[in-house]
Amino acid sequence: MRNRLAIVTIALASAVGGAVLSLSFSRAGAQAPSAAYRAPRTPDGKPNLNGIWQALNEANWDVEAHNAGPSPFPELLGALFAQPAGQGVVEGGPLPYTPEALAKKKANFEKRLTRPTSRELNETTGDPEAKCYMPGVPRATYMPFPFQIVQTPQQLLIAYEFANATRQIHIGRKPEAPAPSWMGWSIGRWEGDTLVVDVTDQVEQTWFDRAGNFHSDALHVVERYTPSSPDHLIYEATIEDPKVFTRPWKMSMPLYRRVERNAQVIDFKCVEFAQDFMYGHLLDK
Amino acid sequence: MNRRLIASAGAVAVVIALIVLAAAPLVGQSAVKKTPWGDPDLQGVYTFSTLTPLQRPDALAGKVALTEAELAEQEDQDAANRVAEDRPLQAGNPGTYNNFWTSNEKGRRTGRSSLITDPADGRRPPMTAAATKVREQLAAEAAARRVGTPPFEHVIYKSWKDLPTYTQCVARPMPRQNQAYNHGVQILQVPGYVVIHYESMHDVRIIPLDGRPHLPSHIRLWNGDSRGRWEGNTLVVDWTNFDPRQEYEGAHQTNMHFVERFTRVDANTIDYEVTVDDPTTWTRSWKFVLPWRADDPNYQKPEHLYEYACHEGNYRQMEDALSGARALEKATKAN
Repeated sequence: MRNRLAIVTIALASAVGGAVLSLSFSRAGAQAPSAAYRAPRTPDGKPNLNGIWQALNEANWDVEAHNAGPSPFPELLGALFAQPAGQGVVEGGPLPYTPEALAKKKANFEKRLTRPTSRELNETTGDPEAKCYMPGVPRATYMPFPFQIVQTPQQLLIAYEFANATRQIHIGRKPEAPAPSWMGWSIGRWEGDTLVVDVTDQVEQTWFDRAGNFHSDALHVVERYTPSSPDHLIYEATIEDPKVFTRPWKMSMPLYRRVERNAQVIDFKCVEFAQDFMYGHLLDK
Repeated sequence: MNRRLIASAGAVAVVIALIVLAAAPLVGQSAVKKTPWGDPDLQGVYTFSTLTPLQRPDALAGKVALTEAELAEQEDQDAANRVAEDRPLQAGNPGTYNNFWTSNEKGRRTGRSSLITDPADGRRPPMTAAATKVREQLAAEAAARRVGTPPFEHVIYKSWKDLPTYTQCVARPMPRQNQAYNHGVQILQVPGYVVIHYESMHDVRIIPLDGRPHLPSHIRLWNGDSRGRWEGNTLVVDWTNFDPRQEYEGAHQTNMHFVERFTRVDANTIDYEVTVDDPTTWTRSWKFVLPWRADDPNYQKPEHLYEYACHEGNYRQMEDALSGARALEKATKAN
């Protein structure tokens, strides 16, 4: 749908002339889930989401549209680890921050590589990805790493490669969260071919991306996973957080099946990669 | 072929059929629950920990199984030990809270005197000379880091690298056995895979059953590389490619190769048998057997495996261990 819209936009823009600029603001978002596709079924008759999936976009750098940019240390790294440009995954941006929250988002970005040389700094400052902290939902979905969905009638277990994070999604039951957690508390249900997941009880330390986009402990995420072909899911996440945003907002993107022969989620147990950054100031030098 | 021969062949066939029919329930073929796609169903929430020691204590040499009376006596002793654990270290000190931490459920004894079933003496076989040397070296390095005398002993960690991998929240050794806490585990199955989710370290082993080869030998994983297959109602997992930095039973896991066998023996129990094979570490292979039980009141449902945010909550521990070491160094130099 979106692609078709984009083509129409191009045609119109070309015809009118000078309106081509509008294209650069159109988002390369996911196709809207099509009612026509019927996914293969599991033995209990539900759409089969089993498999290894991965997003293929630049949302982990910034969920909003953004330009390419250098790495934080171009003098050390050259063009390695530079930021790829992205058209964004947010529908109808910019993100509806309150004024105070927008200021915090900007500060988050500026201080994203602050080394946690005190407990207070560790708890308040810096991109949690740099510390190898579990990424929370929805960020876990679009980090540039695969994840595997294990789907049973009562439960989905998702094993993410990044930080070895896991989460359970309970189906048909609503156990209560005993405490807030990094990957949150997920209660799922089927709506036709769509898995709808309510995610609550996330700690406030996770971010949406490396740009400093953030949330509070009031975050409520509603995820929707809809198969659109044997090898694609449409992922949508509605973000509600009245402490940070003036209204709910939504992101969407396709997820791609890792179709390589013998594809396997392997180790990215990144704690050891984060420790010099986190504890280097405490070493015997 | 004459009629008599055909008749006797028929009779033999009937006898064989009767034997097979009679034997079937004994090996559990018909009783075993299957998944809708026909695999034996091992799914459930279990605990794997037990107070039965890996190796047979000297006092029980020659004794494989405990009598009911001996088992009862050991369980009384276990209960007394749990009470003792909360006593102050020295008179006048405040008490401790170990039993709160461990939920007072460390896994019941198995009824055998050791988890090791092979060799017959219930003890690990001797280490090779090379592995012994490495172990002595590791012990010497650890001793060199210690100052003071127990129980007021301190360890000087020059770097986070000097802490055990588990204390760093990097990884926890596999196979898991004798954990005092967070020993919940869930088995899930989908067509083509058996999945084991360990609460501790939120580790998930996704075990393919499609006969694919192991990862190339230089690709090393903290939890190893698992490949499964069914032998009757037993899941057999070939487990290798461990990170060489990880340690198991006093040796690096560089060349360790395990074969796990999971067999459901009743609604409550999976028999978990592990063959340990590493000729560079032990002079022969050895085997242990451990029940995975579904009757631990702390682990009855999937959500009882709670998020184990080890590293996310480890900043203070690491800061204290390392800044404490720096303070000790300073104090040592000042003296």
